[in-house]
Amino acid sequence: MTVPRAVSVEVSGDPPWWRAIAAFRWLTLAYVTTVNLADLPNVQHPLVAVLLMVVMAVWTVVATVAYSRADLRQWPLFVVDLAVAVSTVLASRLVEASARIAAGEPTFPQMWVVGAILAWAVCWQRRGGLAAAGALAAADVVEGGALSANTVKGIVTLLLVGLVVGYVVGLVRRAQDALAEAIRIQGATRERERLSRDIHDSVLQVLAFVQRRGAEIGGDAAELGHLAGEQEQALRGLVSVSRESISGDADSKVDLRELFNAGQAGPHVHLATPATPVLVTGHQARELAAAVAAAVHNVRRHVAEDADVWVLLEDTGDEVVVTVRDDGQGIPAGRLEEAAAEGRLGVAQSLRGRLHELGGRAAITSAPGDGTEVELRVPR
Amino acid sequence: MCPDEPAGSPITVLVVDDHPMWRDAVERDLAAAGFRVVGTAADGAKAVRVAAAVRPDVVVMDLQLPEKSGVVATGDITAARPETRVLVLSASGEQRDVLEAVKAGATGYLVKSASAAELTDAVRRTAAGEATFTAGLAGLLLGEYRRLAATPTGDPLPQLSERETEVLRLVAKGMTAKQVAARLVLSHRTVQNHVQNAMQKLQLHNRAGLVRYAIEAGLDEE
Repeated sequence: MTVPRAVSVEVSGDPPWWRAIAAFRWLTLAYVTTVNLADLPNVQHPLVAVLLMVVMAVWTVVATVAYSRADLRQWPLFVVDLAVAVSTVLASRLVEASARIAAGEPTFPQMWVVGAILAWAVCWQRRGGLAAAGALAAADVVEGGALSANTVKGIVTLLLVGLVVGYVVGLVRRAQDALAEAIRIQGATRERERLSRDIHDSVLQVLAFVQRRGAEIGGDAAELGHLAGEQEQALRGLVSVSRESISGDADSKVDLRELFNAGQAGPHVHLATPATPVLVTGHQARELAAAVAAAVHNVRRHVAEDADVWVLLEDTGDEVVVTVRDDGQGIPAGRLEEAAAEGRLGVAQSLRGRLHELGGRAAITSAPGDGTEVELRVPR
Repeated sequence: MCPDEPAGSPITVLVVDDHPMWRDAVERDLAAAGFRVVGTAADGAKAVRVAAAVRPDVVVMDLQLPEKSGVVATGDITAARPETRVLVLSASGEQRDVLEAVKAGATGYLVKSASAAELTDAVRRTAAGEATFTAGLAGLLLGEYRRLAATPTGDPLPQLSERETEVLRLVAKGMTAKQVAARLVLSHRTVQNHVQNAMQKLQLHNRAGLVRYAIEAGLDEE
C-alpha cells in the first residue's frame, strides 16, 4: 500500500506589485526630470530645482530597494514615502515664481508622486489609495494656492488612480484567495478519494482472505467466510461504481457496465464485460437492467437461492448483447409454451415484452441438465 | 514450448504482493502443495529484480503494487525471460488492469477469493504454459478484440476466428473448459488452445505495437 503524501497547496504570493511600482517610479522620474531640466532656464530658483531633482532621484533609489524587502515594507515606509511625495509637491513653491504657479504650471514632481499612491493602494487597497491620493490632493491645493481648473483635474486623476488601483488589487487578492481555496479543496478531495481507494483495497483483501481461509477451515468458520465473501462482493460493487444517477434525459448516455455492477453484483453473480464503456441511452439502460434483474431473480426462484449466475455484456457495435446464464437443471422442453397456454405470463413473456419495446429481442435457450441462457439483444 | 523438466523437480514460484498477510498465505499454500517458493516481493520493481535473479517458473502477481505496477512488472518479466510465466492474482477487480496485464504477457488470471486448491491448480497449469482464465477475463478479451476492430488504423489487426469467438463467449458465460468442450464437441486441449491463441494474438499485437513505437521514436530522433 502506498503511503499517503501530504497535500501541499502552493499558490504563488502576490503578483510582483512592488517591482511594477518601482518601474513606474523610474519611468516617471526619467520623464519628469527631463521636462524639469528643459524647464530649468524658466524657473525662479534653478538651484533648488536641481536639489529637488536629486532628492527625487535618491528617494526613487531608496524606495526601490526598501519596497523590495518584506521586512522593510511596513507602515513607516509608506508614511515616509507619502511624506516625501507631499513635500516635493509643496516644495514646488520654492522653485517657481507665484505668478507661474497661479498661471497653472504643474507641480514640480508631477506624476512621479503617483508612485506613493500606488504603494498605498497595493497595501491598503481602495482605502489606502484614496487616503494617499487625498493627502497629495491637499498638497496640490496648498501648493496651487487656489483651486484652479488644472488643480481640480489633477486631484480627480489622483483620486481615481488611488480608487481604481486599490479596487483592482483587492479583486486580485480575492481571486487568489479563491484559487488557493479551490486548490486546497481539490487536493483534499483527491486525497480522500485515494485514501478511500487504499482502504477499500485493503478491506477487500482482508474480506477475501477471511472467505478463503474460512472455507478451508470449515464448520462455523466456513459460515463466517461465506459472509465475508458476500460483503467483499458488495463492497467491490460499491467501490467500482462512480454512482452516476440515471436521469430521465433520453440523450444522456449511461455506461451499462457501471449499472450492472451497481445493480446485479451480489453473491454468486459473475459479471463479464469489456474493459471499455458500453454506452446506451438512459431508457435502454433502465430497461436492460430491469430485464437482467428479472432474469437473475428467476434463476434464484427456479434453481436455487445461491445458484451461480453469469452475466455477459457484449457490444458488437450494432447491438448490445446481454446474456444471463445459469448452471441449473434447465427448463424442460415445452414448459414455457405450456405456461403461456395456461395464460400465465412468465418471465419469458415479460422479458420479450421489454426487449420488443426497445426494438430488440430476447431468446431463451435451455436444455435439460445444461442450464438456461437468456440472451437479450438491443440494437444501437 | 515447455522446457524438459526432470520429472519430480518442484515448480519454482515467485510471489509478488504488497500485502504481507496475502503473501504469507499464498506462500504457505504453495509450499504445502509441493511448490518451491524461491522468492517474494512487495513491489513491482523488486519483483522484476528478483525474477531476473531467481528465474522462477511462475510469478504469482498482484496488480496493485507500489513502485511499479503489476502490469508493467509483468511486461518487464515476460520480456526479459519468456519462459517465466505470470499468473495474475488480483483482488482489485480492475478490469482495465487485468486486460493490460494479459496484453503485457500474463498467462493467466485468478481472483483472490479463489480457493487454495484453485490457486495451486492454476499455478501448476500456468507452469505448463496453459492459460488460466475466468469468465470475466474472457469477457474482457472479447471486448478488446471488438474495440480493436472498431478502431480504424492502417495496421493489421489481430482477429478472432469464428471458433475462438465461440469458445470465448461460452467461457465468458461461465462455462468451464470441460463444459465448453462438451458443448462444441471438442477436446479439452483444443478449447485450451483457442483461449491461449486469443490471448497470444493480443500479446503479439501489443508487443509489435511497442516495437513499432520504439522504431518510430528512434527514427524521429534523426
